[in-house]
Amino acid sequence: MKNIHTLIFTNQANYDLKELTEVRSMSAVPYGGRFRMIDFMLSNCVNAGITDIGVVLEQNYQSLLDHIGTGKHWDLARRRGGLRLLPPFSMKSSGSSGHIRGRMEALASLDSYLNQIRQDYVLLTDGDVALNIDLSKVYDQHVASGADITIVCVPNHIGDPKQTTYVIPAEDGSIADILEKPDEAEGLEYISMALLSKDLLIQVNKYCAAHNQYSFSNDVLVGMKDKLKIMPYVFDGYCARFTSVASYYEKSMDLLKPEVRDELFDADHPIRSKDRTDAPTYYAPGSVVKNSMIADGCVIEGTVENSVLFRNVTVAKGAVVKNSILMKGVVVGENAQVNCTIADKDVTVSPNGNLSGHPNYPLLIAKGSQV
Amino acid sequence: MKKECVAMLLAGGQGSRLYALTKNVAKPAVPFGGKYRIIDFPLSNCVNSGIDTVGVLTQYRPLELNSYLGNGEPWDLDIADGGVHILSPYSTSGESGSWYKGAANAIYQNIGFIDQYDPDYVIVLSGDNISKMDYKDMLETHKKAGAAATISVLTVTMEEAKRFGIMNCNPDDTIYEFEEKPAHPKSNLASMGVYCFTWSKLRKYLIEDENTPGSANDFGKNIIPNMLNNGEKMVVYRFNGYWKDVGTIASLWDANMDILNIPNAELDIYDKEWPLYARNPIVPPHYIGEHATTNHSFVAGGCVVDGEVDNSILFNSVTIERGASVRYSILMPGATVKAGAVVEYSILAENSVIGAGAVVGSEQDPQDPNKKIAVVGSKVSVGPGAVIEAGAMLNPETLKGGEEA
Repeated sequence: MKNIHTLIFTNQANYDLKELTEVRSMSAVPYGGRFRMIDFMLSNCVNAGITDIGVVLEQNYQSLLDHIGTGKHWDLARRRGGLRLLPPFSMKSSGSSGHIRGRMEALASLDSYLNQIRQDYVLLTDGDVALNIDLSKVYDQHVASGADITIVCVPNHIGDPKQTTYVIPAEDGSIADILEKPDEAEGLEYISMALLSKDLLIQVNKYCAAHNQYSFSNDVLVGMKDKLKIMPYVFDGYCARFTSVASYYEKSMDLLKPEVRDELFDADHPIRSKDRTDAPTYYAPGSVVKNSMIADGCVIEGTVENSVLFRNVTVAKGAVVKNSILMKGVVVGENAQVNCTIADKDVTVSPNGNLSGHPNYPLLIAKGSQV
Repeated sequence: MKKECVAMLLAGGQGSRLYALTKNVAKPAVPFGGKYRIIDFPLSNCVNSGIDTVGVLTQYRPLELNSYLGNGEPWDLDIADGGVHILSPYSTSGESGSWYKGAANAIYQNIGFIDQYDPDYVIVLSGDNISKMDYKDMLETHKKAGAAATISVLTVTMEEAKRFGIMNCNPDDTIYEFEEKPAHPKSNLASMGVYCFTWSKLRKYLIEDENTPGSANDFGKNIIPNMLNNGEKMVVYRFNGYWKDVGTIASLWDANMDILNIPNAELDIYDKEWPLYARNPIVPPHYIGEHATTNHSFVAGGCVVDGEVDNSILFNSVTIERGASVRYSILMPGATVKAGAVVEYSILAENSVIGAGAVVGSEQDPQDPNKKIAVVGSKVSVGPGAVIEAGAMLNPETLKGGEEA
């Protein structure tokens, strides 16, 4: 199954993720011990045989570029097709700021790119959603149902209603109504993933450009719902998106549940990431580790409980890390105490230091800080 | 394009004294150190020494080794000019062609490969030892001495010297005599099987050796003695770092435990100045459960550990169930130890399964060079409650186990 071209929108921070997205786009947010958010959609595409992928970049995309490089870690460095990076400078209407108001605005300036797509169908998706989805099933349903647009939805409400689109399903499986950013969540939650034909995409792209419309969800899904046959595809597996620091924390802690890990890291549909050849993790005499997910290259001499540790984290003797997320290269000094804390890359916690947040309000330490 | 130096890595040996572990793979492809395979050490040494053209000579069961090396990308050897090349024996028109008859013959058959790069020097490496060695430094010694051949040597005890090829040297480190496993050694400088040659010289001796009927086509037995007899200038390169032959089960176990000897390991796998490269599987981070205990161990990605792990090395995707105990053991990728099983002083090969409550191996003196390490071969299942004695060797074909041959 390769008749799909994917466009991934890497998204600026729409939500309040504070320092986590000050230095990177939403799609580059580290998650799950060794991944960046975009790894999930890149891997879902590759696992379904989709190998032509455009990545629409916005502001602060350096971190994402470092991560995806040529795409070789996803087998996307190809002579024909493969990964194509679309920086904001290639977009006529975005101006110098690189800020995009909506998908249709980004697409308006990519019309020549759209015309060159070799496949009959285009999948539009965000890059900041963690899920393991079989895209061939979305495609099969789309073709079988004769829909103009198939939109992927989840039954649970995980987003902020004021930033989210909801679908009220009709009894025949089609759509009764679409609600854009309502006060309260209702029906199925649209996770910003849509499949449609290349021809339809080019048509609506022209229409939106001519009418100064920039939002796919508002101007296409809501605006054209009476003219187009829009069908939901219900994905009922695990799906993580972040609307706040607290939700990032909560979704990270979900990874300590075996059923979540099994779903997200299904060995038959592996999630690939940039490979760095770190050494294995070393557990020293005296280390005490319970209920934690730990990446390679760590050195653990102290205590770690209910936590997620990224690569190359050091937890020194006597240090106690509980209920926390420590990103790559974090060093926790001797006898330091860390609780309910998200420490971004390369944070150093001094010996005997004490950091503590609350599960509903975790402490967030910005990249590179010395505490 | 011309290269100053090309490395030739001898990776064709079976490693028959590793028994079950090399039943289906060549020795250089045997997993080592929690994240690597044996061949990653010489390959990483090459890259870290600035050598970007490596011929890997394969012969015995090369499938897994070939797919592991692939295009050389993990070692940055996927380059257009040079890179890693797998060199298998081949047949030629008019004659039958042949398997590699010996190490020297293997290089001889690939003179054409080396000539493509018109190198001044060729380094010959063996793919069956673990070391951290700067080949550039050896090459500098070679150039400075203006030698035809430079042989890297380790200082061993006089007793150990009886088991090695020994270099007898003048005070200026030039070699006047080579003795293979001498009963009464005159020197304690043992050859490591790592050589640096001036290519024009080696080329000539390889051709002569090939034309000598009855030659063993071996470096130690033929090429080096012939060069010495003809008065070529040959010097030793004294190596002081970590080097270990991993030809036997006990020495493979020892070498694994040597790198686990944190923080005093002679070969520091966390050394950022001398990174070790490997091809990695696609796996998520590992998970340590509520009932796990961890002590002095390596754990790699994809493992799920809910039992005791003590003084052990866990490669990727190993499962240790609740109540199981793994001590002083090496668990290769995908091995599973079920609830309540006890594994001690053992090597569990890839995807082996130890049933619930089974006992594999028993406590040994780690210092004893003849300690009995139990080996469970690849994909072998040990039944629930079974007892596998120390030093047992479970091959896929000999499921009942038994004594070492």
